[in-house]
Amino acid sequence: MNQPITLSETAARALENELAHLIVEVLHLENKPESLDPLAPLFGEGLGLDSIDALELALAISRRFGIELKSDDERNRQIFASLRALAGHIAAHRTK
Amino acid sequence: MTAPPFALLQRGPEAALFQTPEGQVVRAGAFLAAAARLAQRLPPGVAVLNLCEQRLGFALGFAAALLRGQLSMLSADRSPARLAALVVQAQGVVVLSENAPPALIHASIHVEPRVCEGARAVENPVIPPERVVARVFTSGSTGAPVPHEKTWGALTTRSAAACARFGLAADGPVSIVGTVPAQHMYGFETTLLLAFHAPVSVWCGPAFYPRDIAAALAAMPAPRMLVTTPLQLRALLDAAIALPPLAGIISATAPLPLALAERAEARWQTRVFEIFGATEAGSIASRAPSESDIWQAYPGLSFAAERAGAEDGSVLRVSGPFMAPVTLADAVEWLSPESFRLLGRRSDVVKLGGKRASLAGLTRILTAIEGVEDGIFIAPDDLDAASNARLIAFVVAPRRSADDILAALRREIDPLFLPRRVIRLQRLPRNEIGKLPQENLMRLAAENGEI
Repeated sequence: MNQPITLSETAARALENELAHLIVEVLHLENKPESLDPLAPLFGEGLGLDSIDALELALAISRRFGIELKSDDERNRQIFASLRALAGHIAAHRTK
Repeated sequence: MTAPPFALLQRGPEAALFQTPEGQVVRAGAFLAAAARLAQRLPPGVAVLNLCEQRLGFALGFAAALLRGQLSMLSADRSPARLAALVVQAQGVVVLSENAPPALIHASIHVEPRVCEGARAVENPVIPPERVVARVFTSGSTGAPVPHEKTWGALTTRSAAACARFGLAADGPVSIVGTVPAQHMYGFETTLLLAFHAPVSVWCGPAFYPRDIAAALAAMPAPRMLVTTPLQLRALLDAAIALPPLAGIISATAPLPLALAERAEARWQTRVFEIFGATEAGSIASRAPSESDIWQAYPGLSFAAERAGAEDGSVLRVSGPFMAPVTLADAVEWLSPESFRLLGRRSDVVKLGGKRASLAGLTRILTAIEGVEDGIFIAPDDLDAASNARLIAFVVAPRRSADDILAALRREIDPLFLPRRVIRLQRLPRNEIGKLPQENLMRLAAENGEI
C-alpha cells in the first residue's frame, strides 16, 4: 500500500533536485543545489530572490518544462512559495 | 472637443484612457467621475502615498489627489521599512491601496480599481502648472529616500514632447502596453501621464512575464506600442511567443544592447526607441538605437555640463519649464545643443532593474548595522551588462553571522540591491592612507568566487 506513494515521492524529490540545480545555474547563486531547503521561501527571507530573478527563472522553467508562467498574483505567490511548491506546480503542468 | 491647456485630462469625455483585463474601455468622462467620488473620500491633508498596484487604481488615486489639490507620493521601492519611513516623514499622509495596508502601516484608504459607466459628468479642471503634484523618491547618498518634486507643468510639457517624439498623435489613438510599474518615474510618464495627455489608451492588467505581455497586446486594438525594459524585451524574444503587429517598442531603465534592438526590429517588423531619463529629471532624451547612438534631447529642456566635484568627468545639469534644475550623475559628450553621447555613469551610482542607488549610501546602511565594525558595497564590472549580476558586500563583524547581516540589510534596502551573500572578513584591504582601492576589492571578490 505504501508502494505508489514511495514511488511518486521519489519522483517529486528528483524534480526538486533538478529544479534546485536549474535555479542555482540560472541565477548564478553561490549556494550548492543540495543545500537549498525545499520548504524555505524563494523570495524575501530564504533565498532572497527579486523580481528580475523571477523573470529569469520563469523563462528558464518555460524552456525546460514547457510551462508558461503568468503574473496572476495570488497563484504566483503560491507557486513561488518554495522549491517544493514550484516543483509541485511544474509536475502538474509540465508539457515536456 | 479639446480641453484647455493644463486641464487634468487633455482628452475629450469619450476618449479611451485605459483598457481593463475584463475588456472594459475606460473613457475620460467616466474616469473623472470615479476619481471625483474617490476624492470625496480623501480626508483633508497635503499628501497621499499611492500604493495601488493596479494601473487603474493608481491612476484613480493620482487623479483624486489632483482634484483635491493634494500631492501624490510615489515610491518604486516597496520595502516595508522604506514605506513606513515615508509615512513617518510626511506627517498626516493618507495611504491609498487596493489591498490591506502593507506591514508597518496602520491604515489605508481602499481604492476600488473599477470605473462605472453612465455616472454624472464632472468638471475637468485646469491644474495650475506651477503646482507640485507628485513627489518621487530615489535612494540618496545617505540611504534615506530623497524626494524629487514634479510640477504639473513639467509633467504635461514632457508628455507633449514624448507624444511628438514617438508620433503618438499621427495615426489616431495608440494602445500602450507597459511592463513597468506606474510608481516608477518611467512607468509614471509612459503608462499614466500619456493616457491623461495624449491620444493613448493604456492596458491596465498584468504585463510582466512574456505570456502576459503577448496576451495584453492581443487584447488591445492596433496600433500598439510596447513600453518595456531591456530585460523584459530579451525575455520576450527568447520566449518565442507570437505577438500581434507592433507599431513600436520603447525601452528604458538600462542601456539597451544594439543587437537586442535589431533582433526585436527584425522579429516584429517594428521600430525600437530608447528613452534616457532619471527619477530626478524624468525622460529627457530619446534615440532609435538601430539608426544612431546619439541621443536627441526633448524640446524645451536646456542642458549644461558640470564638473562633478572631486570626481572625474562632467555631470549633466538639466533645466526646463516649471522645474527646478537637477544634476544627473551621467557624463556626456555634447554634439550640438540638443544632441549628445553618453559616456557612462559616475562610479558611485549603480542602476539595477531601473532603480538607482549610491554605493556610498548602501555602505553607510551596512556599517550602521549593530555589530558591523567595517564594511563596503561594491559593484562588479559587468553590473550593467549581465542581468543576473548583483552587488557584493564585504563586512568585518566578528560577532554576527553573514545571514544575520543579510537579514538586517533586507529590512533596510530594496531587494534588487541586496548582495547575493555577505562576505565576512577579518579586515578590509585598506591601503596605507585608509582608502579601499577598487582593485584590492575586486581581487578579494574574485578570491571569494563572487566574480
